[in-house]
Amino acid sequence: MRAFLILFTKELRSFFLSPLAWIVMALFTFLNGWLFVGMINAMRLRVSSRSLVYNLFDSGWFWMGFFILFPLITMRLFAEERKMGTIEGLLTAPVRTSEVILAKYCATVVVYLVIVAPLFMFFPLFQLITGEQAAFQAGALWGTSLGLLLVGIFHVAIGTLASALTSNQLIAAMLTFVFVMLHYFMGFMERFGLVSGSNWGDSLSYFSTIEHMHSLTEGLIDSRPIIYYISFAAVLLTITHHVLESRKWRA
Amino acid sequence: MIQVNHLTKRYAGRTAVDSISFDVEKGEIVGFLGPNGAGKSTTLRILTCFLSASEGTASVAGYDIYEDSIKVRQHVGYMPENVPLYPDMRVKEYLQFRARIKGLRYRESRRAVNEAMDICSLSEVDHKIISTLSKGYKQRVGLADALVNKPDLLILDEPTNGLDPNQIRQSRELIKRLGERHTILISTHILSEVEMTCGRVVIIDQGKIRACDTPQNLIRRLRRPGEIILEMQGDGEKATEKISKLEGVKSVKKTEIGGKWVTLLIHTDPNIDAREDVFELVNKSGWRIRELASRAASLEDAFVDIVQRPGESTGKTNPVQSST
Repeated sequence: MRAFLILFTKELRSFFLSPLAWIVMALFTFLNGWLFVGMINAMRLRVSSRSLVYNLFDSGWFWMGFFILFPLITMRLFAEERKMGTIEGLLTAPVRTSEVILAKYCATVVVYLVIVAPLFMFFPLFQLITGEQAAFQAGALWGTSLGLLLVGIFHVAIGTLASALTSNQLIAAMLTFVFVMLHYFMGFMERFGLVSGSNWGDSLSYFSTIEHMHSLTEGLIDSRPIIYYISFAAVLLTITHHVLESRKWRA
Repeated sequence: MIQVNHLTKRYAGRTAVDSISFDVEKGEIVGFLGPNGAGKSTTLRILTCFLSASEGTASVAGYDIYEDSIKVRQHVGYMPENVPLYPDMRVKEYLQFRARIKGLRYRESRRAVNEAMDICSLSEVDHKIISTLSKGYKQRVGLADALVNKPDLLILDEPTNGLDPNQIRQSRELIKRLGERHTILISTHILSEVEMTCGRVVIIDQGKIRACDTPQNLIRRLRRPGEIILEMQGDGEKATEKISKLEGVKSVKKTEIGGKWVTLLIHTDPNIDAREDVFELVNKSGWRIRELASRAASLEDAFVDIVQRPGESTGKTNPVQSST
């Protein structure tokens, strides 16, 4: 636990002492700010039966940023240590591999949360500036933040595994990119007509990030996505552990 | 302090370390020598629990490297080859981090870091970012890292690699001083360093231990003809002929150098010192001597003698080597 805390703090420091986290945060917030404005304009022109929160997180534009965000914040985790050789110092110190993985993973989830946090300032800011009630409810926002947390927990685990697999940061980033995107589009197979049998389509839509977010953005907290994302993250981190331990034998 | 028992490490299709066994006693400074690719780093990595062995056992500081891996790592200060460091951290910050993950409490760690920086003369760069440091300083940061939690055993993998002669001399002094407090296992290419600092030498080649003894014994064991260098002014041809006939002289090789000076390289039987005879002969013939010296065998000669491969010395290819 002690080693975990030390590694966790070190990881967070190296994120926030480098410009990367800040640049990603600024650009990500800019992108979403633009989307937010666009969504409000769209809803003014055309009446929507859904809330602003629902529409915002239903749009492909919003998720587009995530395809890039996760590779960016996870690619260096292990790949960089392996390339520079610092992993040798790290794993010959009296710390467990599991502590190293959890520390890096948790620090990255925190970084992710800090990066998406400004999103939630948009709604009160909108109210403050326009004096109008934006079309949303507090429950929807809570549901959404839970949804984004779950998405982060899952996708950061994908990135952690990808980064442990290679010493090349670009390959790690590419792997994460592909899997985040695959997971996202898996829920759309039905819409694309790629899967003809409806059983397949139905089953695949259970994996859909968008589908999970739909219920959460309406303020409905379903336990299925919670269990789904957390258990998958646990599996991915276990595989990461095996990958790093097997290095001892292969190397 | 270290017991290695038939340790073997196989990579895909290649045996890097082949059933080696050796011991290191408490308080010793042991040099671990071998040509590149001999299996030195692999062995050190197994001892520090970074790699697992394919076969065999080893214990470090009284703990088994498999059963008590964490305990082993607590008692070993390891400086990996090429000294990997986090380039974006400051020296003090880095050492503090390392001290903490090695289990020191915050207050202890501050004292330990200051002490380690004193030992390695890093105090004037404590706030510099590691990537801006010169190679010599980086090496010292790595060393400070290895000894920050005062481990019983230091394992240093080529600590003087890439340093300039001055720095090598300094680090030699430093290692000698550290030897008073720690047991040290040090792998290196620089043989003069080993000769001066190490009490014992383990020579490994192609994954096998070739020799394990004190540097003095290794040199003594070396069976090489003695060599005498003679630099003189006079008739080189005649001198070569005359010296060849002296007792114990096996061969004489002549090289001209500028002007009237000639250098003769004289090989003799190992037990015979022919210098007096040579001097008398040259004196009688009325030639002038500028230099007359016997070349003592060094650890380098011993090393070359021990690890020289049959294929390389005779010019023929060793069938085992060519098949791999």
